Amino acid sequence: MLLDFALPEHDRKLIPEGRISGPMPWVIAIMLFLTLLVAAAGLTLADAARQGGDDLAQQVTVQIIEADPVARAGQRAAVAKKLRAVPGIAEVKAVPDAQVRNLLEPWLGTGVIDADIPVPALVDIRFDRVPDAVTLKKLQQILAPIAPVIRLDSHSSWMAPFFELMSALVWLTVAILLLLLIATSAVVVLAVRSALNTHRETIQIMHMMGGTDVQAARLFQRRVALDALLGGAIGFGAAALVILTLGGRFAAVEPGLLAGASLPWYGWIALGLIPLAVMGLAMLMARWTVVSALKKML
Amino acid sequence: MQSVVEFDNVGLRYGTGAETLTDLSFTLYPGSFYFLTGPSGAGKTSLLKLLYLAHRPSRGAIRMFGHDAVTLPRERLPGFRRRIGVVFQDFRLVQHLSTFDNIALPLRIAGIQEKDLKGPVTEMLAWIGLTERADARPATLSGGEQQRVAIARAVIGRPEMLVADEPTGNVDPDMARRLLQLFAALNRLGTTVVVATHDIHLLQEIEGAQMMRLDKGRLSDPTGSLKHPPRPLVLRN
Repeated sequence: MLLDFALPEHDRKLIPEGRISGPMPWVIAIMLFLTLLVAAAGLTLADAARQGGDDLAQQVTVQIIEADPVARAGQRAAVAKKLRAVPGIAEVKAVPDAQVRNLLEPWLGTGVIDADIPVPALVDIRFDRVPDAVTLKKLQQILAPIAPVIRLDSHSSWMAPFFELMSALVWLTVAILLLLLIATSAVVVLAVRSALNTHRETIQIMHMMGGTDVQAARLFQRRVALDALLGGAIGFGAAALVILTLGGRFAAVEPGLLAGASLPWYGWIALGLIPLAVMGLAMLMARWTVVSALKKML
Repeated sequence: MQSVVEFDNVGLRYGTGAETLTDLSFTLYPGSFYFLTGPSGAGKTSLLKLLYLAHRPSRGAIRMFGHDAVTLPRERLPGFRRRIGVVFQDFRLVQHLSTFDNIALPLRIAGIQEKDLKGPVTEMLAWIGLTERADARPATLSGGEQQRVAIARAVIGRPEMLVADEPTGNVDPDMARRLLQLFAALNRLGTTVVVATHDIHLLQEIEGAQMMRLDKGRLSDPTGSLKHPPRPLVLRN
Protein backbone atom coordinates (compact mmCIF):
# COMPACT_ATOMS: atom_id res chain seq x y z
CA MET A 1 0.00 0.00 0.00
CA LEU A 2 2.77 2.43 0.93
CA LEU A 3 4.61 1.50 -2.24
CA ASP A 4 1.47 2.36 -4.18
CA PHE A 5 1.47 5.73 -2.45
CA ALA A 6 5.02 6.56 -3.57
CA LEU A 7 4.43 6.94 -7.30
CA PRO A 8 7.17 8.30 -9.55
CA GLU A 9 6.67 11.90 -10.64
CA HIS A 10 5.89 11.05 -14.26
CA ASP A 11 3.08 8.71 -13.19
CA ARG A 12 1.67 11.44 -10.96
CA LYS A 13 1.39 13.67 -14.01
CA LEU A 14 -1.06 11.24 -15.62
CA ILE A 15 -3.84 12.34 -13.29
CA PRO A 16 -3.40 16.05 -12.54
CA GLU A 17 -3.72 16.62 -8.82
CA GLY A 18 -5.84 19.63 -8.01
CA ARG A 19 -5.86 19.41 -4.24
CA ILE A 20 -7.53 21.98 -1.96
CA SER A 21 -9.43 23.29 -4.95
CA GLY A 22 -11.66 20.22 -4.79
CA PRO A 23 -14.08 19.47 -1.95
CA MET A 24 -12.58 16.09 -1.03
CA PRO A 25 -10.03 17.21 1.60
CA TRP A 26 -12.61 19.44 3.27
CA VAL A 27 -15.29 16.76 3.34
CA ILE A 28 -12.78 14.30 4.79
CA ALA A 29 -11.68 16.95 7.32
CA ILE A 30 -15.28 17.40 8.51
CA MET A 31 -15.94 13.65 8.65
CA LEU A 32 -12.69 13.08 10.52
CA PHE A 33 -13.40 15.94 12.92
CA LEU A 34 -16.72 14.30 13.83
CA THR A 35 -15.17 10.83 13.92
CA LEU A 36 -12.40 11.97 16.27
CA LEU A 37 -14.83 13.74 18.61
CA VAL A 38 -17.02 10.65 18.81
CA ALA A 39 -13.98 8.43 19.29
CA ALA A 40 -12.65 10.73 22.03
CA ALA A 41 -16.02 10.69 23.79
CA GLY A 42 -16.16 6.92 23.57
CA LEU A 43 -12.62 6.45 24.85
CA THR A 44 -13.15 8.91 27.71
CA LEU A 45 -16.41 7.28 28.74
CA ALA A 46 -14.92 3.81 28.52
CA ASP A 47 -11.93 4.86 30.64
CA ALA A 48 -14.09 6.67 33.20
CA ALA A 49 -16.46 3.70 33.40
CA ARG A 50 -13.57 1.28 33.81
CA GLN A 51 -11.79 3.32 36.46
CA GLY A 52 -14.93 4.26 38.40
CA GLY A 53 -16.38 0.80 38.06
CA ASP A 54 -13.26 -0.96 39.37
CA ASP A 55 -12.99 1.48 42.25
CA LEU A 56 -16.63 1.18 43.27
CA ALA A 57 -16.84 -2.55 42.75
CA GLN A 58 -14.03 -3.02 45.31
CA GLN A 59 -16.00 -1.15 47.96
CA VAL A 60 -18.48 -2.76 50.35
CA THR A 61 -20.37 -1.18 53.26
CA VAL A 62 -21.12 -3.30 56.32
CA GLN A 63 -24.37 -2.23 57.98
CA ILE A 64 -24.70 -3.24 61.65
CA ILE A 65 -28.34 -3.27 62.69
CA GLU A 66 -28.67 -3.05 66.44
CA ALA A 67 -31.22 -1.02 68.39
CA ASP A 68 -29.03 -0.47 71.45
CA PRO A 69 -26.68 2.42 70.67
CA VAL A 70 -24.00 1.22 73.11
CA ALA A 71 -24.03 -2.31 71.79
CA ARG A 72 -24.10 -0.95 68.24
CA ALA A 73 -20.98 1.16 68.88
CA GLY A 74 -19.24 -1.82 70.44
CA GLN A 75 -20.16 -4.06 67.53
CA ARG A 76 -18.91 -1.44 65.06
CA ALA A 77 -15.53 -1.24 66.76
CA ALA A 78 -15.28 -5.02 66.97
CA VAL A 79 -16.31 -5.49 63.36
CA ALA A 80 -13.78 -2.88 62.20
CA LYS A 81 -11.05 -4.57 64.23
CA LYS A 82 -11.95 -7.99 62.86
CA LEU A 83 -12.09 -6.72 59.29
CA ARG A 84 -8.60 -5.22 59.51
CA ALA A 85 -7.30 -8.72 60.15
CA VAL A 86 -9.11 -10.29 57.16
CA PRO A 87 -6.73 -10.90 54.25
CA GLY A 88 -7.72 -9.22 50.96
CA ILE A 89 -9.16 -6.12 52.61
CA ALA A 90 -7.07 -3.07 51.84
CA GLU A 91 -8.88 -0.42 53.85
CA VAL A 92 -11.38 -0.33 56.72
CA LYS A 93 -13.16 2.81 57.87
CA ALA A 94 -15.73 2.92 60.67
CA VAL A 95 -18.15 5.66 59.72
CA PRO A 96 -18.92 7.95 62.70
CA ASP A 97 -22.59 8.26 63.75
CA ALA A 98 -22.58 11.97 62.98
CA GLN A 99 -21.59 11.28 59.39
CA VAL A 100 -24.33 8.65 59.07
CA ARG A 101 -26.88 11.20 60.32
CA ASN A 102 -25.60 13.73 57.80
CA LEU A 103 -26.13 11.15 55.05
CA LEU A 104 -29.73 10.60 56.15
CA GLU A 105 -30.64 14.27 56.65
CA PRO A 106 -31.63 14.91 53.03
CA TRP A 107 -34.31 12.21 53.33
CA LEU A 108 -35.44 12.56 56.95
CA GLY A 109 -34.97 16.29 57.50
CA THR A 110 -32.63 18.39 59.60
CA GLY A 111 -32.78 17.89 63.36
CA VAL A 112 -35.23 14.99 63.14
CA ILE A 113 -32.65 12.31 63.82
CA ASP A 114 -31.67 12.10 67.48
CA ALA A 115 -29.85 9.48 69.44
CA ASP A 116 -33.06 7.59 70.05
CA ILE A 117 -33.65 6.77 66.39
CA PRO A 118 -31.80 3.56 65.67
CA VAL A 119 -29.74 4.16 62.56
CA PRO A 120 -27.40 1.38 61.49
CA ALA A 121 -23.71 1.63 62.20
CA LEU A 122 -21.61 1.60 59.05
CA VAL A 123 -18.16 0.29 58.27
CA ASP A 124 -16.78 1.02 54.81
CA ILE A 125 -14.27 -1.46 53.47
CA ARG A 126 -12.27 -1.60 50.30
CA PHE A 127 -10.99 -4.89 48.97
CA ASP A 128 -7.73 -5.06 47.09
CA ARG A 129 -9.69 -6.65 44.24
CA VAL A 130 -13.34 -6.93 43.25
CA PRO A 131 -14.92 -9.38 45.72
CA ASP A 132 -17.10 -12.18 44.41
CA ALA A 133 -20.25 -13.58 46.04
CA VAL A 134 -18.32 -16.35 47.83
CA THR A 135 -15.95 -13.82 49.43
CA LEU A 136 -18.88 -11.73 50.65
CA LYS A 137 -20.65 -14.81 52.08
CA LYS A 138 -17.48 -15.84 53.92
CA LEU A 139 -17.15 -12.32 55.29
CA GLN A 140 -20.71 -12.47 56.56
CA GLN A 141 -19.90 -15.75 58.32
CA ILE A 142 -16.75 -14.25 59.90
CA LEU A 143 -18.70 -11.26 61.23
CA ALA A 144 -21.80 -13.15 62.43
CA PRO A 145 -20.38 -14.04 65.89
CA ILE A 146 -19.48 -10.37 66.49
CA ALA A 147 -22.61 -8.69 65.14
CA PRO A 148 -25.60 -11.02 64.70
CA VAL A 149 -27.56 -8.72 62.33
CA ILE A 150 -25.39 -7.29 59.57
CA ARG A 151 -25.93 -6.51 55.91
CA LEU A 152 -23.22 -6.26 53.29
CA ASP A 153 -23.88 -3.65 50.61
CA SER A 154 -21.69 -4.11 47.58
CA HIS A 155 -21.39 -0.74 45.85
CA SER A 156 -21.18 -2.40 42.47
CA SER A 157 -24.77 -3.62 42.74
CA TRP A 158 -26.35 -0.18 43.19
CA MET A 159 -24.00 1.43 40.67
CA ALA A 160 -24.66 -1.26 38.05
CA PRO A 161 -27.41 0.65 36.16
CA PHE A 162 -25.12 3.67 35.84
CA PHE A 163 -22.28 1.62 34.43
CA GLU A 164 -24.66 -0.23 32.14
CA LEU A 165 -25.67 3.18 30.81
CA MET A 166 -22.00 4.12 30.37
CA SER A 167 -21.38 0.85 28.56
CA ALA A 168 -24.38 1.46 26.29
CA LEU A 169 -23.04 4.94 25.49
CA VAL A 170 -19.64 3.47 24.62
CA TRP A 171 -21.31 1.03 22.22
CA LEU A 172 -23.33 3.89 20.79
CA THR A 173 -20.11 5.78 20.04
CA VAL A 174 -18.72 2.64 18.36
CA ALA A 175 -21.85 2.46 16.19
CA ILE A 176 -21.60 6.17 15.31
CA LEU A 177 -17.93 5.68 14.47
CA LEU A 178 -18.78 2.86 12.09
CA LEU A 179 -21.50 4.96 10.45
CA LEU A 180 -19.08 7.84 10.01
CA LEU A 181 -16.49 5.53 8.47
CA ILE A 182 -19.13 4.14 6.10
CA ALA A 183 -20.13 7.70 5.15
CA THR A 184 -16.46 8.61 4.59
CA SER A 185 -16.04 5.55 2.38
CA ALA A 186 -19.12 6.55 0.38
CA VAL A 187 -17.69 10.04 -0.10
CA VAL A 188 -14.43 8.55 -1.36
CA VAL A 189 -16.26 6.20 -3.76
CA LEU A 190 -18.30 9.08 -5.21
CA ALA A 191 -15.23 11.32 -5.54
CA VAL A 192 -13.19 8.58 -7.23
CA ARG A 193 -16.03 7.75 -9.62
CA SER A 194 -16.24 11.41 -10.54
CA ALA A 195 -12.45 11.62 -11.04
CA LEU A 196 -12.53 8.40 -13.05
CA ASN A 197 -15.14 9.90 -15.37
CA THR A 198 -13.06 13.06 -15.74
CA HIS A 199 -9.95 11.06 -16.65
CA ARG A 200 -11.67 8.23 -18.54
CA GLU A 201 -9.90 9.13 -21.80
CA THR A 202 -6.44 8.94 -20.18
CA ILE A 203 -7.29 5.60 -18.56
CA GLN A 204 -8.57 4.21 -21.87
CA ILE A 205 -5.35 5.26 -23.61
CA MET A 206 -3.33 3.61 -20.85
CA HIS A 207 -5.42 0.47 -21.28
CA MET A 208 -4.83 0.37 -25.02
CA MET A 209 -1.09 0.55 -24.36
CA GLY A 210 -1.19 -2.37 -21.95
CA GLY A 211 -1.78 -0.53 -18.71
CA THR A 212 -3.35 -2.71 -16.03
CA ASP A 213 -6.29 -1.91 -13.78
CA VAL A 214 -3.94 -1.81 -10.80
CA GLN A 215 -1.67 0.71 -12.53
CA ALA A 216 -4.69 2.95 -13.12
CA ALA A 217 -5.95 2.40 -9.59
CA ARG A 218 -2.59 3.49 -8.15
CA LEU A 219 -2.96 6.90 -9.74
CA PHE A 220 -6.28 7.46 -8.00
CA GLN A 221 -5.13 5.87 -4.75
CA ARG A 222 -2.33 8.36 -4.44
CA ARG A 223 -4.58 11.30 -5.18
CA VAL A 224 -7.16 10.12 -2.63
CA ALA A 225 -4.43 9.39 -0.07
CA LEU A 226 -3.10 12.93 -0.35
CA ASP A 227 -6.60 14.37 0.00
CA ALA A 228 -7.25 12.13 3.01
CA LEU A 229 -3.92 13.07 4.57
CA LEU A 230 -4.63 16.77 4.19
CA GLY A 231 -8.22 16.39 5.38
CA GLY A 232 -7.01 14.19 8.23
CA ALA A 233 -4.49 16.79 9.40
CA ILE A 234 -7.12 19.54 9.38
CA GLY A 235 -9.73 17.33 11.08
CA PHE A 236 -7.26 16.12 13.71
CA GLY A 237 -6.08 19.64 14.48
CA ALA A 238 -9.62 20.93 14.96
CA ALA A 239 -10.70 17.90 17.00
CA ALA A 240 -7.60 18.09 19.23
CA LEU A 241 -8.40 21.73 19.97
CA VAL A 242 -11.97 20.88 21.00
CA ILE A 243 -10.90 17.85 23.06
CA LEU A 244 -8.25 19.85 24.97
CA THR A 245 -10.71 22.68 25.62
CA LEU A 246 -13.42 20.27 26.85
CA GLY A 247 -10.80 18.42 28.91
CA GLY A 248 -10.06 21.65 30.74
CA ARG A 249 -13.79 22.13 31.44
CA PHE A 250 -14.13 18.56 32.79
CA ALA A 251 -11.15 19.08 35.08
CA ALA A 252 -13.00 22.02 36.65
CA VAL A 253 -16.11 19.92 37.42
CA GLU A 254 -16.85 19.12 41.11
CA PRO A 255 -15.72 15.65 42.21
CA GLY A 256 -18.37 13.17 41.31
CA LEU A 257 -19.03 10.37 38.91
CA LEU A 258 -17.43 12.14 35.96
CA ALA A 259 -14.65 13.74 38.00
CA GLY A 260 -11.31 12.97 36.45
CA ALA A 261 -12.98 11.94 33.18
CA SER A 262 -10.35 12.76 30.62
CA LEU A 263 -8.93 11.25 27.48
CA PRO A 264 -6.36 8.67 28.60
CA TRP A 265 -2.87 8.67 27.08
CA TYR A 266 -3.63 5.67 24.94
CA GLY A 267 -6.70 7.54 23.69
CA TRP A 268 -4.46 10.15 22.09
CA ILE A 269 -2.51 7.40 20.36
CA ALA A 270 -5.77 5.89 19.11
CA LEU A 271 -6.96 9.28 17.88
CA GLY A 272 -3.64 9.80 16.10
CA LEU A 273 -4.05 6.47 14.36
CA ILE A 274 -7.58 7.22 13.14
CA PRO A 275 -6.54 9.70 10.37
CA LEU A 276 -3.97 7.16 9.17
CA ALA A 277 -6.58 4.42 9.24
CA VAL A 278 -8.99 6.65 7.32
CA MET A 279 -6.24 7.34 4.77
CA GLY A 280 -5.71 3.59 4.39
CA LEU A 281 -9.45 3.03 4.12
CA ALA A 282 -9.74 5.80 1.51
CA MET A 283 -6.92 4.24 -0.54
CA LEU A 284 -8.56 0.82 -0.35
CA MET A 285 -11.92 2.25 -1.38
CA ALA A 286 -10.27 4.14 -4.26
CA ARG A 287 -8.56 0.98 -5.46
CA TRP A 288 -11.75 -1.05 -5.18
CA THR A 289 -13.79 1.63 -6.97
CA VAL A 290 -11.35 1.98 -9.87
CA VAL A 291 -10.76 -1.74 -10.32
CA SER A 292 -14.52 -2.44 -10.16
CA ALA A 293 -15.27 0.29 -12.70
CA LEU A 294 -12.47 -0.76 -15.08
CA LYS A 295 -13.59 -4.39 -15.02
CA LYS A 296 -16.59 -3.24 -17.02
CA MET A 297 -14.19 -2.09 -19.76
CA LEU A 298 -12.42 -4.59 -21.99
CA MET B 1 5.22 -20.36 -40.38
CA GLN B 2 3.79 -19.16 -37.08
CA SER B 3 1.19 -16.48 -37.70
CA VAL B 4 0.81 -13.24 -35.77
CA VAL B 5 -2.93 -13.01 -36.29
CA GLU B 6 -5.50 -15.47 -37.61
CA PHE B 7 -9.11 -14.51 -38.20
CA ASP B 8 -11.51 -17.33 -38.84
CA ASN B 9 -15.03 -16.44 -39.95
CA VAL B 10 -15.08 -13.39 -37.70
CA GLY B 11 -18.13 -11.14 -37.41
CA LEU B 12 -18.61 -7.99 -35.38
CA ARG B 13 -21.80 -6.16 -34.55
CA TYR B 14 -22.33 -3.25 -32.18
CA GLY B 15 -25.30 -3.84 -29.93
CA THR B 16 -28.24 -5.24 -31.82
CA GLY B 17 -27.42 -3.52 -35.13
CA ALA B 18 -26.39 -5.14 -38.38
CA GLU B 19 -22.95 -6.73 -38.64
CA THR B 20 -20.19 -4.18 -39.22
CA LEU B 21 -17.74 -6.90 -40.16
CA THR B 22 -18.84 -10.16 -41.74
CA ASP B 23 -17.10 -13.49 -42.30
CA LEU B 24 -13.52 -12.24 -42.09
CA SER B 25 -10.94 -14.96 -42.51
CA PHE B 26 -7.27 -14.12 -43.05
CA THR B 27 -3.83 -14.63 -41.59
CA LEU B 28 -1.13 -12.04 -40.88
CA TYR B 29 2.45 -13.26 -40.80
CA PRO B 30 5.41 -11.92 -38.83
CA GLY B 31 7.42 -9.25 -40.59
CA SER B 32 4.76 -8.61 -43.21
CA PHE B 33 3.41 -5.21 -44.22
CA TYR B 34 -0.30 -4.85 -44.92
CA PHE B 35 -2.34 -1.97 -46.20
CA LEU B 36 -6.00 -2.03 -45.32
CA THR B 37 -8.08 -0.01 -47.77
CA GLY B 38 -11.68 0.52 -48.50
CA PRO B 39 -14.25 3.30 -48.64
CA SER B 40 -15.42 5.20 -45.59
CA GLY B 41 -17.74 3.09 -43.48
CA ALA B 42 -16.33 -0.16 -44.87
CA GLY B 43 -15.30 -1.25 -41.35
CA LYS B 44 -11.56 -0.51 -41.44
CA THR B 45 -11.49 1.08 -37.99
CA SER B 46 -13.64 -1.74 -36.58
CA LEU B 47 -11.24 -4.32 -37.98
CA LEU B 48 -8.30 -2.43 -36.47
CA LYS B 49 -10.12 -2.36 -33.12
CA LEU B 50 -10.30 -6.14 -33.23
CA LEU B 51 -6.60 -6.22 -34.07
CA TYR B 52 -5.59 -4.06 -31.13
CA LEU B 53 -7.97 -5.86 -28.79
CA ALA B 54 -10.29 -2.95 -28.10
CA HIS B 55 -13.24 -5.20 -28.95
CA ARG B 56 -13.98 -8.87 -28.97
CA PRO B 57 -15.75 -10.27 -32.04
CA SER B 58 -19.43 -11.16 -31.95
CA ARG B 59 -18.63 -14.47 -33.56
CA GLY B 60 -15.78 -16.42 -35.10
CA ALA B 61 -12.29 -17.14 -33.82
CA ILE B 62 -9.23 -14.90 -33.52
CA ARG B 63 -5.80 -16.23 -32.67
CA MET B 64 -3.16 -13.68 -31.78
CA PHE B 65 0.48 -14.47 -31.05
CA GLY B 66 -0.53 -18.12 -30.87
CA HIS B 67 -3.32 -17.64 -28.33
CA ASP B 68 -7.09 -17.59 -28.60
CA ALA B 69 -7.84 -13.87 -28.33
CA VAL B 70 -11.60 -14.33 -28.07
CA THR B 71 -11.57 -16.22 -24.80
CA LEU B 72 -8.38 -14.64 -23.50
CA PRO B 73 -9.00 -13.70 -19.84
CA ARG B 74 -9.27 -9.95 -19.33
CA GLU B 75 -6.32 -9.99 -16.92
CA ARG B 76 -4.04 -11.19 -19.71
CA LEU B 77 -5.03 -8.52 -22.22
CA PRO B 78 -2.48 -5.90 -21.00
CA GLY B 79 0.37 -8.30 -21.77
CA PHE B 80 -0.89 -8.75 -25.33
CA ARG B 81 -1.60 -5.06 -25.82
CA ARG B 82 2.00 -4.22 -24.92
CA ARG B 83 3.03 -6.24 -27.96
CA ILE B 84 0.87 -4.07 -30.22
CA GLY B 85 1.54 -0.44 -31.18
CA VAL B 86 -1.50 1.60 -32.15
CA VAL B 87 -1.81 4.86 -34.08
CA PHE B 88 -5.33 6.09 -33.57
CA GLN B 89 -7.14 8.02 -36.26
CA ASP B 90 -7.87 10.81 -33.78
CA PHE B 91 -4.33 10.50 -32.26
CA ARG B 92 -5.66 10.17 -28.68
CA LEU B 93 -2.74 11.95 -27.08
CA VAL B 94 -2.93 12.68 -23.36
CA GLN B 95 -3.66 16.37 -23.42
CA HIS B 96 -1.99 17.33 -20.14
CA LEU B 97 1.25 15.49 -20.91
CA SER B 98 4.15 16.94 -22.85
CA THR B 99 5.27 15.56 -26.21
CA PHE B 100 8.12 13.75 -24.44
CA ASP B 101 5.82 12.22 -21.82
CA ASN B 102 3.26 11.15 -24.44
CA ILE B 103 5.93 9.30 -26.41
CA ALA B 104 7.41 7.79 -23.25
CA LEU B 105 4.01 6.59 -21.99
CA PRO B 106 4.10 3.00 -23.39
CA LEU B 107 7.62 2.51 -22.02
CA ARG B 108 6.60 3.76 -18.60
CA ILE B 109 3.51 1.55 -18.61
CA ALA B 110 5.79 -1.38 -19.43
CA GLY B 111 7.91 -0.47 -16.41
CA ILE B 112 11.02 0.78 -18.23
CA GLN B 113 13.31 2.77 -15.93
CA GLU B 114 13.65 6.51 -16.56
CA LYS B 115 17.37 6.23 -17.27
CA ASP B 116 16.66 3.69 -19.98
CA LEU B 117 13.88 5.54 -21.75
CA LYS B 118 15.35 9.01 -22.11
CA GLY B 119 17.67 7.98 -24.95
CA PRO B 120 15.07 6.20 -27.13
CA VAL B 121 12.48 8.95 -26.62
CA THR B 122 14.98 11.70 -27.46
CA GLU B 123 16.03 9.77 -30.56
CA MET B 124 12.41 9.32 -31.59
CA LEU B 125 11.74 13.03 -31.08
CA ALA B 126 14.62 13.78 -33.44
CA TRP B 127 13.29 11.27 -35.96
CA ILE B 128 9.89 12.91 -36.14
CA GLY B 129 11.47 16.38 -36.08
CA LEU B 130 9.97 17.52 -32.81
CA THR B 131 13.02 17.82 -30.58
CA GLU B 132 12.29 21.49 -30.07
CA ARG B 133 8.70 20.71 -29.06
CA ALA B 134 9.56 18.07 -26.45
CA ASP B 135 7.91 20.08 -23.68
CA ALA B 136 4.92 21.24 -25.71
CA ARG B 137 1.39 20.08 -24.86
CA PRO B 138 -0.63 18.45 -27.69
CA ALA B 139 -3.05 21.39 -27.82
CA THR B 140 -0.19 23.63 -28.94
CA LEU B 141 0.89 21.25 -31.73
CA SER B 142 -0.48 21.28 -35.26
CA GLY B 143 -2.51 18.32 -36.54
CA GLY B 144 0.50 16.94 -38.38
CA GLU B 145 2.74 17.30 -35.34
CA GLN B 146 0.20 15.53 -33.17
CA GLN B 147 0.04 12.73 -35.69
CA ARG B 148 3.82 12.34 -35.61
CA VAL B 149 3.73 12.19 -31.81
CA ALA B 150 0.99 9.53 -32.00
CA ILE B 151 3.13 7.50 -34.41
CA ALA B 152 6.24 7.90 -32.29
CA ARG B 153 4.27 6.73 -29.25
CA ALA B 154 3.06 3.67 -31.17
CA VAL B 155 6.49 2.57 -32.37
CA ILE B 156 8.71 3.54 -29.41
CA GLY B 157 8.24 0.18 -27.71
CA ARG B 158 9.27 -1.78 -30.83
CA PRO B 159 5.94 -3.64 -30.93
CA GLU B 160 5.55 -7.03 -32.58
CA MET B 161 2.58 -5.66 -34.49
CA LEU B 162 1.86 -2.05 -35.43
CA VAL B 163 -1.71 -1.05 -36.24
CA ALA B 164 -2.18 2.42 -37.73
CA ASP B 165 -5.45 4.08 -38.66
CA GLU B 166 -4.88 6.71 -41.36
CA PRO B 167 -1.44 7.56 -39.96
CA THR B 168 -0.54 10.01 -42.72
CA GLY B 169 -3.85 11.79 -43.05
CA ASN B 170 -2.69 15.08 -41.58
CA VAL B 171 0.91 15.35 -42.78
CA ASP B 172 2.42 16.67 -45.97
CA PRO B 173 3.59 14.16 -48.64
CA ASP B 174 7.24 14.44 -47.59
CA MET B 175 6.45 13.72 -43.97
CA ALA B 176 4.07 10.95 -45.05
CA ARG B 177 6.90 9.27 -46.94
CA ARG B 178 9.23 9.76 -43.99
CA LEU B 179 6.75 8.20 -41.57
CA LEU B 180 6.16 5.29 -43.92
CA GLN B 181 9.91 4.75 -44.06
CA LEU B 182 9.84 4.60 -40.27
CA PHE B 183 7.15 1.93 -40.49
CA ALA B 184 9.17 0.12 -43.14
CA ALA B 185 12.29 0.24 -40.96
CA LEU B 186 10.31 -1.21 -38.10
CA ASN B 187 8.90 -3.81 -40.46
CA ARG B 188 12.42 -4.81 -41.52
CA LEU B 189 13.19 -5.40 -37.85
CA GLY B 190 10.37 -7.94 -37.77
CA THR B 191 7.31 -5.93 -36.82
CA THR B 192 4.09 -6.83 -38.61
CA VAL B 193 2.54 -3.60 -39.84
CA VAL B 194 -1.11 -2.99 -40.68
CA VAL B 195 -1.90 0.46 -42.05
CA ALA B 196 -5.45 1.51 -42.81
CA THR B 197 -5.50 4.23 -45.43
CA HIS B 198 -7.54 5.87 -48.16
CA ASP B 199 -4.37 7.02 -49.91
CA ILE B 200 -3.80 4.55 -52.72
CA HIS B 201 -0.42 6.17 -53.54
CA LEU B 202 1.02 5.05 -50.24
CA LEU B 203 0.67 1.47 -51.39
CA GLN B 204 3.46 2.05 -53.84
CA GLU B 205 5.88 3.27 -51.20
CA ILE B 206 6.47 -0.06 -49.49
CA GLU B 207 8.01 -2.83 -51.47
CA GLY B 208 6.39 -6.19 -50.85
CA ALA B 209 3.42 -4.76 -49.02
CA GLN B 210 0.14 -6.58 -49.35
CA MET B 211 -3.31 -5.14 -49.52
CA MET B 212 -6.48 -6.08 -47.77
CA ARG B 213 -9.56 -4.35 -49.10
CA LEU B 214 -12.68 -4.03 -47.04
CA ASP B 215 -16.03 -3.27 -48.58
CA LYS B 216 -19.25 -3.26 -46.59
CA GLY B 217 -17.58 -5.20 -43.84
CA ARG B 218 -16.26 -7.96 -46.08
CA LEU B 219 -12.73 -8.57 -47.34
CA SER B 220 -12.37 -8.49 -51.12
CA ASP B 221 -9.72 -8.58 -53.83
CA PRO B 222 -6.82 -8.35 -51.46
CA THR B 223 -3.99 -8.26 -53.96
CA GLY B 224 -5.27 -6.89 -57.22
CA SER B 225 -4.02 -3.31 -57.16
CA LEU B 226 -0.59 -3.61 -55.55
CA LYS B 227 2.31 -2.38 -57.65
CA HIS B 228 4.59 -5.06 -56.30
CA PRO B 229 3.23 -8.58 -56.43
CA PRO B 230 2.45 -9.60 -52.88
CA ARG B 231 3.33 -12.76 -51.10
CA PRO B 232 0.20 -14.86 -51.05
CA LEU B 233 -2.22 -13.68 -48.42
CA VAL B 234 -4.04 -16.58 -46.88
CA LEU B 235 -7.73 -16.01 -47.41
CA ARG B 236 -10.10 -18.70 -46.39
CA ASN B 237 -13.35 -17.48 -47.82
